[in-house]
Amino acid sequence: MAEPLLEIEGVEVRRGMGTVLSDFTLALHPGEIIVLHGLNGSGKSTVIETAARLLPLERGHVNHHGSLTIHADGRRMNPPHPFGLTLQSNGMIGSETVEHHLTMVAQLSGANIDLNSLLESYGLQHRMSDRMCHLSGGQARKVAVLAGLIPAMVATTPVITLLDEPDSGLDETAIKALKGHIQSLAGFGHGFVIATHNSELMQVATHLHDLKQKNTQKNTPSTGWQPLGTKAEHSFTRTRAGHRYSRSTRSGFARNGLAALLVLGCVLALGDPLQLPKGLWLTGGILAPAFAAGLSGDPTTHLLRENRAYDWWRAQGQTTPSAIGLGALIGLVSTMVSCSIFIGTLDPVLLFIGSFIGESTMLGVRMLHTSTQRLARPQAVFIRLLMPVFILPWALIVSWASGL
Amino acid sequence: MAARSAEALLGFGFIGIMATLYLGFQWAPSVSIDAFESPAAQRIFYWHVPAAWAAFIAFGVLFLGSLMWFFKRSPLGWRLHVAGAEAGLACGLITVWSGCVWGAAEWGTPWDWTDVRLNTFGLLTLLALFLVLGRQSQPDGIETRDTFSTFGLYGFVLVPLTYIATRIWEIRHPGPVIGSGDGSGSLSGDMAMVLLLGAISFTVFISGHILMSMRITGLEQRLEQVQHHIDGGK
Repeated sequence: MAEPLLEIEGVEVRRGMGTVLSDFTLALHPGEIIVLHGLNGSGKSTVIETAARLLPLERGHVNHHGSLTIHADGRRMNPPHPFGLTLQSNGMIGSETVEHHLTMVAQLSGANIDLNSLLESYGLQHRMSDRMCHLSGGQARKVAVLAGLIPAMVATTPVITLLDEPDSGLDETAIKALKGHIQSLAGFGHGFVIATHNSELMQVATHLHDLKQKNTQKNTPSTGWQPLGTKAEHSFTRTRAGHRYSRSTRSGFARNGLAALLVLGCVLALGDPLQLPKGLWLTGGILAPAFAAGLSGDPTTHLLRENRAYDWWRAQGQTTPSAIGLGALIGLVSTMVSCSIFIGTLDPVLLFIGSFIGESTMLGVRMLHTSTQRLARPQAVFIRLLMPVFILPWALIVSWASGL
Repeated sequence: MAARSAEALLGFGFIGIMATLYLGFQWAPSVSIDAFESPAAQRIFYWHVPAAWAAFIAFGVLFLGSLMWFFKRSPLGWRLHVAGAEAGLACGLITVWSGCVWGAAEWGTPWDWTDVRLNTFGLLTLLALFLVLGRQSQPDGIETRDTFSTFGLYGFVLVPLTYIATRIWEIRHPGPVIGSGDGSGSLSGDMAMVLLLGAISFTVFISGHILMSMRITGLEQRLEQVQHHIDGGK
C-alpha cells in the first residue's frame, strides 16, 4: 500500500478543559475519502483542525506525507506540500474579492489558475469581482469550499484536503458539483477528510468514520482529474496579501495614520511649535507621531480576526500575512509632516529615525498581538497593557537623537 | 487546617505591615537633610522596599508556576501561576504607587521613562495586571493556560534585569541599600530593624495571599470538573 498522505497517530486533544480526542489514530491514503460523521460535539471538527495543525496536542503526533508536522512536545513544522482546508468558518476577510482570494490560494500552491470555468460550476462567475462581504452566506461558503479544493485541483501529485462541514449553506447544484469534484480528485489520488452530516456526501466516501471505528464502503471508481492551471513560482505571497488587505480596507491609514495625526494634533495644541527650543522636547514632539503610528500595530493582525482567517493562514504555514514596511512608510510620512511643522525643514536623520521607530514599534506590537491569537477570545485580552514596554526604547532614542 | 493557616498568615502579615508603617513614620530615625531633597518622604522607604521584595517573591512563584504548567501540565503549577500573578500585582502596585509618591517629593517627578529600573519594574506590574485581567477575560482551557504561562516565563526575564538595572544604568533610582557588595548605602541598626520587620511582614502577608488564592483557584477547578461531569463530558 502507498505511503499515507496523512497520519494522525495516538493523539490526545483537549478543548477547554475537556478531552475531545483520546488516543485517536487515523491514516489517509491516496485516493481515499474519509467521511467523519457522528453527533454534534463528538470531535469531527477537532480531527480536521488537528490534521491542519491548529490545535496543540497533549499526546501523539501528525504527519503529512510522512513528515512530522506537529508533535505533543511542541514541535510544529511547515507541511511538506500545500494542502486544502475549509474550516467551519470561511477563513476569509470581507474586503477581499472572490478573484483575489482564490488566485492567492492557487499561488500558495505554486500555480496560476483560470477561475472562470471553476466559478461557473458553482454559479459564481458573475460574482468574481465582488468582495466577500457582498456575497450571501451560501455564496461565501462556496468560495471557502473552492479555496479548500484548489490545492488539490492544481497539484500534480496527491495532496491532502480537509473539509469541515463543506455542505453547510450550499444549494443542491453546488453539492452536486462538490460531489463530482471530490470523486474526480480522489480518482487522481488526492485524499480527503470530510466532516459532515450530509447523506449525499457520505455516499462518495470510501470510508465512514464515527470517530471510534473506520468502516470501508464500496464506491464506484471515478475517472481521474486533469490538474488545472500552470506552474508558477510566487514569492512574498503573504506580504503581498497583507498589503492588499491593508489597502483594500484603508486600515493602514485608518488605524496607524490617524493615530499619528491625533498625536501630532495633541502636541500642537500645547503651544507654538516654532517656539520650542532645540532639544529633548522638540525631538520628542517630532518623533511622537511615528511612535503612535507604530503603537497601533500591524493592521493586518486585526483584519485576520474576521471569520477565523488567521487560523486558516496559520494552517498553511508558520507565517501569516503582514504589512511589512507599512510602519516605516507611515513613520516616514508622519515625521515629514512633523518636521515641516516643528523645524520648517526635512531633516534626513530624523526622517530615518522616524521610519525606523514606526516600523520597529509596529513589528513589536505585532509580535505581542500574535502571541495571543491562539486564545479563545483574543480581542478580549488586555494586551495593550504591555505596550509601555516600547516607551523606554523610544525615550532612549529620542534622548540620543536630541543630542545629534 | 490549610484554610486556617492562610487566614492566620494574612492576619499576622497585615498586623506586621501596619506596625512597619507606624514604626517607619513615628519611630525610625530621620535621615540627614544633606543626603535627601525631602527627608520626610524618605520614610516611604519602609513600605516601598519590603513591598518590592515581596513582589519579587510573588514573581518568582509566578515563574515557577508557569514553568510547572508549561512543561508538566501540572494543575498545581497553574494554581501557583494564578496566585503569583495576583500577589505580584498587589505588591507591585504598592511598590509603584509608593515609589511615585517618594519620587515626586525627592526628584520632583513621579516617573522617569528613561530610568531602566522604574520601567522594568513598572512593566512587571503591568504584566501581572495583564495576566490577572486576561485570565478573567478568557474561558479556562489549555490554550489560555499555555498562552499566559508563556507570558509568565518570558516576563520573568524582567526580574534579573530589574535587579541589576541600578548597578548598570543608574539614572534616577538609587542602587541597593542591602547587599550592594561594597558596603555603600548601609543602614543604621534601627532603620535596618524596621526594614527587616517590613520585609518579614510583607513576606508573611503574600504567603497567606498565595495560599488563599491557590485555594480559591482549586475550588474553581473542582467546580468546573463537577459542571463538566454534569454536562456528560469525559
